[in-house]
Amino acid sequence: MYQSFIGLEIHIQLLTESKVFCGCTNRFGDEPNTNVCPVCMGYPGVLPALNEEAIRLSYIVARTLNCELSPRAIFERKNYFYPDMPKNYQISQFSSPLGRNGWIDIEYAGKPRRVRIHEIHLEEDAGKMIHAGDMSLLDYNRAGTPLLEIVTEPDMEAGEEAEILLQNFRRTIRYLGVCDGNMEEGSMRCDANVSINLEGQGLGRKVEIKNLNSSRFVKMALNYEITRQKELFGKGGKIVQETRLWNENRDVTEPMRTKESAHDYRYFPEPDLPPFIPGAEFLAKVDKGLVELPEARKARFVKEYGLSAAAADFLVAEKATADFYEQTVKLGAAPAAAAAWLQFDVRKILNRDGKELADCPLTAGRLAQLLSLLADGRIHGKIAKQVLEAVFAEDKDPGQLIKEKGWQSMSDMSQLAALVDQALAANAAAVDAVKAGDRKPLGFLVGQIMKQTGGMAEPRLVQELLKQKIK
Amino acid sequence: MIHSMDVSELKITAELANLDLTGEDLASLGNEVEKILDYFSSMMEADTAGLAAGKAGSAANRLRPDVRTPGDADALLENAPELEGRFIVIPNVL
Repeated sequence: MYQSFIGLEIHIQLLTESKVFCGCTNRFGDEPNTNVCPVCMGYPGVLPALNEEAIRLSYIVARTLNCELSPRAIFERKNYFYPDMPKNYQISQFSSPLGRNGWIDIEYAGKPRRVRIHEIHLEEDAGKMIHAGDMSLLDYNRAGTPLLEIVTEPDMEAGEEAEILLQNFRRTIRYLGVCDGNMEEGSMRCDANVSINLEGQGLGRKVEIKNLNSSRFVKMALNYEITRQKELFGKGGKIVQETRLWNENRDVTEPMRTKESAHDYRYFPEPDLPPFIPGAEFLAKVDKGLVELPEARKARFVKEYGLSAAAADFLVAEKATADFYEQTVKLGAAPAAAAAWLQFDVRKILNRDGKELADCPLTAGRLAQLLSLLADGRIHGKIAKQVLEAVFAEDKDPGQLIKEKGWQSMSDMSQLAALVDQALAANAAAVDAVKAGDRKPLGFLVGQIMKQTGGMAEPRLVQELLKQKIK
Repeated sequence: MIHSMDVSELKITAELANLDLTGEDLASLGNEVEKILDYFSSMMEADTAGLAAGKAGSAANRLRPDVRTPGDADALLENAPELEGRFIVIPNVL
């Protein structure tokens, strides 16, 4: 009988070399206050200048999220007095943000859902503060780094749905290469708002939740908050419009004390920055940054390569994996085999060694070579796995490793036939059992020959020969 | 004509600026702010139709290539009243 309404405000740090309005380095983890200059430290008399890559990446996100692009994006000063911003205002956007009225399509509870985007705007991030006893420590390395804010409409209804949206969004920005989406390090941050009301009565009184530094916490905090509000409502209580903090140690939301007047930001146009007008040339550069998104790529993988939805899902999760896969196939590997090897054998080694596909001795060329050796019967399955391990250990091509180690399969039929004859003669009891209809000793006989050849005999051929000879 | 600022609005503005003003401060500041507002009022009466004034001039975007041009961070830190390592120290304002 209750309806819940969830909206998200997502902030992402853009992957630029320099800050958004000055030439300081934009990098996480540097020594405190090394990447600062008079512009981002708010010295008088300085002039901000817009970073063209920051604005390009912003429009790429706006286009990807189906937004109407502002023909005249205006920067405004958001005034507030807090030491994380040395200027006493943040350059942001208010009256004419760069993107509006977009959407993200997700799948929730087995159904397609469209979550509308209210707006997207570019702003500068604030510095970091560490509160230590009676003093606060300030680090302005982050002050002035480009931050893109994406505001959704309150179109979601459960914590799980918000979690899916966030995961989907994260994958998208990583595909676009605009942000690494690391919620723990804070390169992607999320605030949520939620209200409940009786069915059909529209939005309720909005509660904002902050301090959500993983998509799981977003889900947990929202579900906690919906339950809290329903109980309060049910008891005839009043929901207060407020900001609450997620307490990750106690798994609850708690009210945050704020001064109401603090929300009067007195926005006005930034006199030091002209409005940004995206021209045809700029928009062409934006279009070059658009990529095939994970959902579309997944659908194509299923259709074009005949993969299962699960295999395609795995491959498209990271763009690097999907690119690697397609390159392997392009080099001649069978689509199903390449998918299976990446999904199981290769992933197992990467996980074990804590390595990334993009940064390991296995290349698409080497995987394609390995799979072609396997498909041609020059090595058999068990050896192929050994070769894969050797590629990782020795950083050499599969073909070279097989030669060096003498791992070519023994597939010479007359040689194998002689070995089979020997085995049959030495194991008369097993042969009799097979003749009597028991198939189990066949495996034993294959094992004997494999042992004798140090595992090099092609097991498929051995089995065939055995069946021919025991008749 | 802009209406002169009443005391309640002045109090809110002072609060937003983290200024602790006494009744005396408010009275004297009220007069000064009024003068500033009057000045803006007379500026607003000027006929600017057809002038580019008030609009950021150039038709072209003013952009900066995404290049690092590191400045002298250490010199800026020397201006900080108190440091802890490379952190700037201020009283706790949590």
